Amino acid sequence: MAGEVTLVELVKRFGDVTAVDGINLEMPSGEFFSMLGPSGCGKTTTLRMIAGFEQPTEGRILLDGNDMAYTPPHKRNVNTVFQSYALFPHLNVADNVAFGLRRQKVGKHETRERVAETLELVQLTGFEKRKPAQMSGGQQQRVALARALVLKPAVLLLDEPLGALDAKLRKALQLELKALQQQVGITFIYVTHDQEEALTMSDRIAVMADGRVEQVAPPREVYEEPSTVFVADFLGVSNLMDAEAVGGANICRLQVGDFELDATQGKTDARGSVRVTIRPERVQLEAQDATGQNRVPGMVERLVYLGNSVQVIVHLAVGTTIQALVQNVGTEIPWKQGTPVQAHLPADALRVLDDTGAALAPLDEGAVPA
Amino acid sequence: MSGTTVATAPVQRASTVTRLRGWLANPWGRPRFLVLITWSYMVWSIVPVLIAIQFSFNASRSRTIWSGFSLRWFTWDTDSVMNDPDLRHALGQSMKLAAADVLIAVPIGVLLALGLARWRGRGAGTSNFIMLFPLVTPEIVMGVSLLLVFTHIFTVVHTGTLAQVLGHITFSISYVVVIVRGRLFSIGRQYEEAAADLGASPAVALFRVLLPLLTPAIVAGAAITFAISIDDFVISQWLSSGGGTVTVPMLIYDATRAAPLPSINAIASIMAFVTLLSVLAGFLVYRAFTRGERGAGGGMVGDMAAFDI
Repeated sequence: MAGEVTLVELVKRFGDVTAVDGINLEMPSGEFFSMLGPSGCGKTTTLRMIAGFEQPTEGRILLDGNDMAYTPPHKRNVNTVFQSYALFPHLNVADNVAFGLRRQKVGKHETRERVAETLELVQLTGFEKRKPAQMSGGQQQRVALARALVLKPAVLLLDEPLGALDAKLRKALQLELKALQQQVGITFIYVTHDQEEALTMSDRIAVMADGRVEQVAPPREVYEEPSTVFVADFLGVSNLMDAEAVGGANICRLQVGDFELDATQGKTDARGSVRVTIRPERVQLEAQDATGQNRVPGMVERLVYLGNSVQVIVHLAVGTTIQALVQNVGTEIPWKQGTPVQAHLPADALRVLDDTGAALAPLDEGAVPA
Repeated sequence: MSGTTVATAPVQRASTVTRLRGWLANPWGRPRFLVLITWSYMVWSIVPVLIAIQFSFNASRSRTIWSGFSLRWFTWDTDSVMNDPDLRHALGQSMKLAAADVLIAVPIGVLLALGLARWRGRGAGTSNFIMLFPLVTPEIVMGVSLLLVFTHIFTVVHTGTLAQVLGHITFSISYVVVIVRGRLFSIGRQYEEAAADLGASPAVALFRVLLPLLTPAIVAGAAITFAISIDDFVISQWLSSGGGTVTVPMLIYDATRAAPLPSINAIASIMAFVTLLSVLAGFLVYRAFTRGERGAGGGMVGDMAAFDI
């Protein structure tokens, strides 16, 4: 099946700025592949190079084995859904969708049929004569999808297509997009800065930073087993601690301040200065007098009510501040600001990270994002 | 002076001056002061024109004493616009220059705008700046320079109609470029990219997408070109070879220094009407084509202001 995209040592420089810095990615046919990263990480530039709007400075872009890095955009078998939709304002919905078919000199009858078919696919039958300006954002987004899908491209490129929609509509369209992709079965390459969006829809995610790929893995793996500090931090709140790996093989013995912790996840064979992370939902808060392995005393600094859970920010005796997420099960949590507690950091939740990859953007201590 | 006296004093009726000030400058009411200024200016600027137009319908030979309504200066008097060969010819010459100007300057201006808006790199900034030169160069300087060019360098041109057309094109291209380029910037590159993405070659993208989107700006550019060409005096005068190349503004200028008849007012009225009509048509087309566009709130003025240097 067609639609396999391979990027080989792809580099793009704008003057002195390197937007994409040597990317290697393989996107097999029929995959929902997301490029996730903060703004300026090079994800959109990469997508624009695949579409043909930018020429790579170095490297190759293979579509089913053929290098198309220097093929002009109108000769590539890929289509794009733009962030701003870029629907032609002077054409109605049917003419917008038929635009690509007319360029391919598809017959009148077939054009009409395929337009109708595709509009049905995106649930816009009956809107043929509307002008884009007469439609809502969500509807325009469907037209943009239809306009690209009607050409049956090998690969569909989506540049933050849900970015301009409100949260509720975005959630609904996420599921719809995923279902649509499974229905048409073509490769989707999806660019987003929204980690939840990427986790919900993708088969695999490439987390990008500073023009490089930090990690490529399925959503669960990216979230549960981040390979770099950057990935751990970008995918939700991660409690990062500086530690000294002092021994062990399968179980890594860590020295954090005056405390010794065991960790069984990540690069347990590392030695020396490392970073350790634990997901807020895995931190267990216990009464001050609790004892046992992997426990660090601390003091509750702040409670943040989130509805389905309560975020407890704890200042540990080792000097770092971590977050614990306590599920809201209807009972009031026994801690208040200033309560001394024991933070239990289970060994199978503690992950030793490579301190390579992109540096984190500095956050000031107090402003821990929810 | 103590605060207590003021506090205990009965509330007095506001003086007339205070009330008038309150009426003019009430921050919660309508901005009456601005309205007043605006209307004063409108009256000041339009009344002389209206009076001139009024006397083109005068029944007598006077341009100052009103003696009833008549169309004689347009149609039946021997010195009317229709019967005086000089007036008729001047009107024809003005129209000819304006039409030629629109037909040549608009296509060239559109192409230049496309080139300048999409050209990045060395020289682009300079060219954009030079493009605005004719807008700020005093017309008389341009007239003299063009006369020198046509009488000393490109002597094949001579003075006369051809030179006048070339002169008009020279300064009106800039207006077209500024308007079209402004629109190009405001619509951005996204539509061209979308067209290319859907399989349109650059030429197809230009004709199927870009030109339809530019239509309002092109029409506006044409209307303005027409209006400024009809209106031009300085360049037409410098590049004229007398006789058959006299335009309406030149004729009016000459006539008012001799003993003018209301027929001069009549021809001026015709010019004012034609200019108004062309600008109005441009505006209406612009509005019709951009209706419902996202972010087109600024409209024509916004598009024109969108150009940057």
